[in-house]
Amino acid sequence: MSDEALLAGMATGDADAMAGFVRRHQARVYGLALSVVGVPAVAEEVAQEAFVRAWRHAGNYDPRRAQASTWLLTITRNVAIDVVRVRRELATDPVAVAEMMTTAASDGDRVEDCDRVAAALRELPSEQATAVLLSVHFGLTAREIGERQGVPLGTAKTRIRTGLSRLRTMLEVSHGE
Amino acid sequence: MANDPNRCAELAESLAEVATGAASGPDRARVLDHLSECDDCRAELERLSRVADEVLLLAPSHEPPAGFESAVLERIAGSDDAGPEGTGPDDGSGAGSDDGHAGGEPADGTRRHWVRGLVLAAAAAVIGLAGAGIVWQTTSDERELAEGYRKTLDIADGQYFSAAPVRDASGEQVGHVFLYQGEPSWVFAVLGDAPAPGVYDVRVATDDWTGDVASCDVEAKTGGAGGTINADIYQVREVRLVAPDTPPLIATLPDRSGE
Repeated sequence: MSDEALLAGMATGDADAMAGFVRRHQARVYGLALSVVGVPAVAEEVAQEAFVRAWRHAGNYDPRRAQASTWLLTITRNVAIDVVRVRRELATDPVAVAEMMTTAASDGDRVEDCDRVAAALRELPSEQATAVLLSVHFGLTAREIGERQGVPLGTAKTRIRTGLSRLRTMLEVSHGE
Repeated sequence: MANDPNRCAELAESLAEVATGAASGPDRARVLDHLSECDDCRAELERLSRVADEVLLLAPSHEPPAGFESAVLERIAGSDDAGPEGTGPDDGSGAGSDDGHAGGEPADGTRRHWVRGLVLAAAAAVIGLAGAGIVWQTTSDERELAEGYRKTLDIADGQYFSAAPVRDASGEQVGHVFLYQGEPSWVFAVLGDAPAPGVYDVRVATDDWTGDVASCDVEAKTGGAGGTINADIYQVREVRLVAPDTPPLIATLPDRSGE
């Protein structure tokens, strides 16, 4: 059954659809939460909260706007970021995690549908790739990224924009193949 | 709509941060204000957002501890989460059906949640401003609200969203107001450079009605507050922030009654 069908079921209160949706996405949701908060017990709480929000708002999902997995991971990221901002002692080293995520060695931990973007990310200068990941995954502002990378605010902003724009170009080329 | 190339260039870097969902509040406010009148930047934001969405898929995958699925199902069986709440702009992702009234009149539960989301968002903004000085602490509620703006702009071509600068008596910009057309419609004011601390009433005026919708508590120079209105946003002519012993701060809305 497709994600869209499961979400449609969830929107009508179908707990079986919810169970199927959780089974399908739990590893990815928990993995994202863990990479941001760094503590398994807290990551589990974050992942649970993400699924509860998905349940509440399943009727809100619009497949024209995003894949279901993207929708769910965005919810997860936002919950995780809030937790880290309140409980700063939880924070992993985002730069280290981001750098690790750009290495080929971490490919085995990912699902197959992101090989293309992983490869594109590795084509970027490492400081741009890290800046993009810090922004997308950890929700760090340019100011925060600049502080962590030891560069001025303007440089951090440029790294995010240039990195994202180059990724777009590479992915558009890839789409066109 | 007419574009200002200089303004587009100024905001290009902030646009990327809005796409990733990490822009600071003031940056996001500036971009959203610009998007309401720039088709090119809206299209660029859409493209960058899709890239950011793909990057998010790079999240490493790890199986959660045993019993995770059961724990989730137990939580949704709880009274507060017993049923989905339908459409609304606050799912946390921004990928929902974003026009609060596109699907007709929402159910009461939906309306309650929508209003609650607004209150949470407003509270998050105010708490963040108070706690973080001039840096607007982004929370998921605030991000949800901002995503709602952006998606609404995408879908409705700006007609369900409006924004205007707030100016002091000398014409200097000191903040922004945002208006969202929905069920209910609402107004949100953000001050980044208020002339004096204090409590400012957020006074909304249409041709037929004037009323206070919120109180904006300004510490130092910053603050934010919002509330619902029983009017369509195109009817709003002016929003004033009024405090004792301080000349009113005024945002004049574009006249869209003929659109």
